[in-house]
Amino acid sequence: MASISIENIVKRFGEQTVLQSFSLHVPDGAFYTLLGPSGCGKTTLLRCIAGFYEPDGGRLLFDQDDVTRVSAHHRDIGMVFQDYALFPDKSAFDNVAYGLRARKVPKAELTRRVDEALDKVGLLALTDRYPAQMSGGQRQRVALARALVIRPRVLLMDEPLSNLDANMRLQMRDVILDLVREAGITTVFVTHDQEEALAMSDRIAIMDRGSIAQLGTPQELYGTPVSSYVADFIGAANVIPVATEPAAAQGATSDAMRRVRYHLSGRALDGVRGSEGLGKHGVLIARPGELSLAAPAPHLPNAIAGEVARRQYLGFKTSYRVKLHEGFEIRVDLHAGNMTADFQPGDAVQVRVPADSRIISA
Amino acid sequence: MRIQWWPWGVLTLVCLALLVFFVFYPLGVLFINSVRNESGAFSPAGFIALLNDSQYLQAFRNTLVLGGVVTACTIAVGVPFAYMVARYEFPLKNLLAVLPIMTIVIPEIVVGQSWLLIVGNNGLLTNLLAEIGIQLPSFYGWTGMVFSMTLVYYTYIYLGVLAALRGFDGQLEEAGLSLGTSPLLTKWRVLVPVIVPAMLVNALVVFTLVVGNFALSMILGSRVPLLSVMTYNTFVNEMGGSPVLQSAMSVVSIAIVAIVLFLQKRVVERKIYTMTQGRAPAAVRVRSGASLLYTGAFGLIILASMLPLIIVFIAALTQTSGPVMRWGEWSFSSLQRALQGAPEPIINSLKFASMATLAGVVFAVLVSYLTIKKRNTFTQLLDYIVVLPLTISGTVLGIALVQTFNTGWLVLAGTSGIMVLCYTVRRLPFAVRNASSTLFNIPDSIEEASISLGVSPLMSFFKAILPAMKASIISAAILMWVTTLSELSGSIVVYTGGLETMPIAIFRQVDGGRLGLASAYGAALVSIILVPIILSIKVFKINLFSSK
Repeated sequence: MASISIENIVKRFGEQTVLQSFSLHVPDGAFYTLLGPSGCGKTTLLRCIAGFYEPDGGRLLFDQDDVTRVSAHHRDIGMVFQDYALFPDKSAFDNVAYGLRARKVPKAELTRRVDEALDKVGLLALTDRYPAQMSGGQRQRVALARALVIRPRVLLMDEPLSNLDANMRLQMRDVILDLVREAGITTVFVTHDQEEALAMSDRIAIMDRGSIAQLGTPQELYGTPVSSYVADFIGAANVIPVATEPAAAQGATSDAMRRVRYHLSGRALDGVRGSEGLGKHGVLIARPGELSLAAPAPHLPNAIAGEVARRQYLGFKTSYRVKLHEGFEIRVDLHAGNMTADFQPGDAVQVRVPADSRIISA
Repeated sequence: MRIQWWPWGVLTLVCLALLVFFVFYPLGVLFINSVRNESGAFSPAGFIALLNDSQYLQAFRNTLVLGGVVTACTIAVGVPFAYMVARYEFPLKNLLAVLPIMTIVIPEIVVGQSWLLIVGNNGLLTNLLAEIGIQLPSFYGWTGMVFSMTLVYYTYIYLGVLAALRGFDGQLEEAGLSLGTSPLLTKWRVLVPVIVPAMLVNALVVFTLVVGNFALSMILGSRVPLLSVMTYNTFVNEMGGSPVLQSAMSVVSIAIVAIVLFLQKRVVERKIYTMTQGRAPAAVRVRSGASLLYTGAFGLIILASMLPLIIVFIAALTQTSGPVMRWGEWSFSSLQRALQGAPEPIINSLKFASMATLAGVVFAVLVSYLTIKKRNTFTQLLDYIVVLPLTISGTVLGIALVQTFNTGWLVLAGTSGIMVLCYTVRRLPFAVRNASSTLFNIPDSIEEASISLGVSPLMSFFKAILPAMKASIISAAILMWVTTLSELSGSIVVYTGGLETMPIAIFRQVDGGRLGLASAYGAALVSIILVPIILSIKVFKINLFSSK
């Protein structure tokens, strides 16, 4: 096991710079996820850590060892691939044994360790199967066992769940987490699925065009996104430009300091300052589930006026799109339990925004 | 992209050097020799002589006409068969559908010889009919060539069109019908544009095969002058002198094939549509009367194309007196003379084919790995040069190799080296195509998985990639072995005394009128070819012909 220190890594492909002085520290035994849309550089970074790409600048350390120039087969990594990458001509047993044979592990110990690894992923009954005879989930379990059986210093996973169907994906999350926790192995997990990232990670690095947009625990990223990019990527959020009033007189408490007044759809509302250096223009971040709807009269505090543009009944909730005066649309989800009234397209409504909604700089 | 020099960069350069030296360089020598006079100065005299030679111009015209006629005939046979197999159910269909593939491995020389045994001047059928007073028209010349070449080459059209039809999305036809066009018109507008490109691509292949054909042209061509035969004869006549005319003729043959292949790449391949979701319509069961007709028509052609296999064994076991076959009297004497008296051709064939297969498959696997998995500028060059032998007929390749390796610091002429080289170069494009088709299906991540597990890149090739390719390497090796065993047109040019192979022996015995002995060698050759094919299909369950 080892910590991973990525220090100012640069990676270019021809003219294009994919990673621009990228730094990240993954502590020993932590589960870090690189999350971002395709083309954000997450896979490139993973392949740099693995040694399949040689960075054009910067350093990579496993604990205190500089492995920047160490070739991939000497780095002692475990890797799980999106397409499983099982050797098609080898049985499950031989696939898992491959890395041990390369390490010249004695036969008796090899058999014991392979059986143990296959047992942990629940495939002891299928040791003689070939990849073509296994389901996607079974193949990915073999791939996981193959990567872990060599007891690598770090485990790298490149979208390992994206080829599986929805049910299997949920199951495999648990399988992966159990094994990784038990082994206590430092893991870097790449995905574009935000739910997967939230459910599995100690920390998530949201990547945007080759650098980190925000690094934090799943709660931090969901609760206090620092930019509209992050807010939008982690869970659907309303991201609406607002005009903010100049900072009020400095209050005594830090709580008062964080208050901010903003204008939207002809109303003045209270909110919370979500980032430093907020100027005259800000962005309201509001999750659809935190908002509620009310009849247009009487005027409610911290509510904005609008008109229902679209209504979608989804069973456990009803999702509305409300058109605001400025022409923006705001999404409001009313859950079946606390649905006070039903609204139809064309109805005038008020959208109630919680006073602790965050305003961040645009 | 940066090039990693060790190990793949170095291996790329080694492959490139070998190809340049053994393929590119001999062709260069051939081109230079075609425009040089006796003293070595530049002179277009060779080409001028050809332009003024009325017999050569006649051969040129004949070759193109023969190519056109045979191609048309193969289309007339191959397309309806493919359509019948794709769209209808009839008795014995499954057997009949795969048999045409077998005709590809029957040596042309055996086909030619067998038809002589049946309808030649002293043939079985000729004699039978003569007894009841019917005089068969002479089989020699155009009739024999068109007939036998059609039976040998229609398989290419059949397989190509069948593949296109099977990949065709039947819903397109239904869409056409739903839009209100009549069934016949729908077929014309929807189906034909899909089949025609597949047909044309393979028609051009057939055309080049006919232009380069040596065995059938030589045995059955009689007095019809043809380019391949004339080139060979000129080579024999010029032996020892200045090789101007043979070189000029070779250059012309290369030019014809190059133009055809260029057309294929530029014009036809662009018109090939790929169907994203091919769900071929279900085959329709045909009723008893029509089904007899379908099975009968198909069966007859197949029977005719497989007949040589049977005839050659019958003839090998038939008593001969001099050149005369005494049909109906059985004897082992021909076989005895071939197997015990002069087994050298059999031993040579096995030796050369095995060596060429080993060299060719190793080289092909390496080249396709480099060009598919380790792309860079140099491997692209490799990719181009390796298909170059496709433009060269066996005769021309043989001439180029003899001219190049007759003198100088590397003399191969007269050694088994030149036979092996000739075989290897001829079959290399096919072996590479075989190896490539599987490599495309092996994801890059497999190699990376192996590296991540601690195995070096070079060892990963041997431990992860090569085992994954095992099945296709075996089938490529069998196909290469089988096809080199029946190679004639190149080896007959480069061979010298002591290097005779089975096809050459057959050719010489046919030439000398000793059809019995020729059949004995033919039977031996066919047996050696069929055994590994039947073994691999029946015992090892290898799909030999999945990728032609």
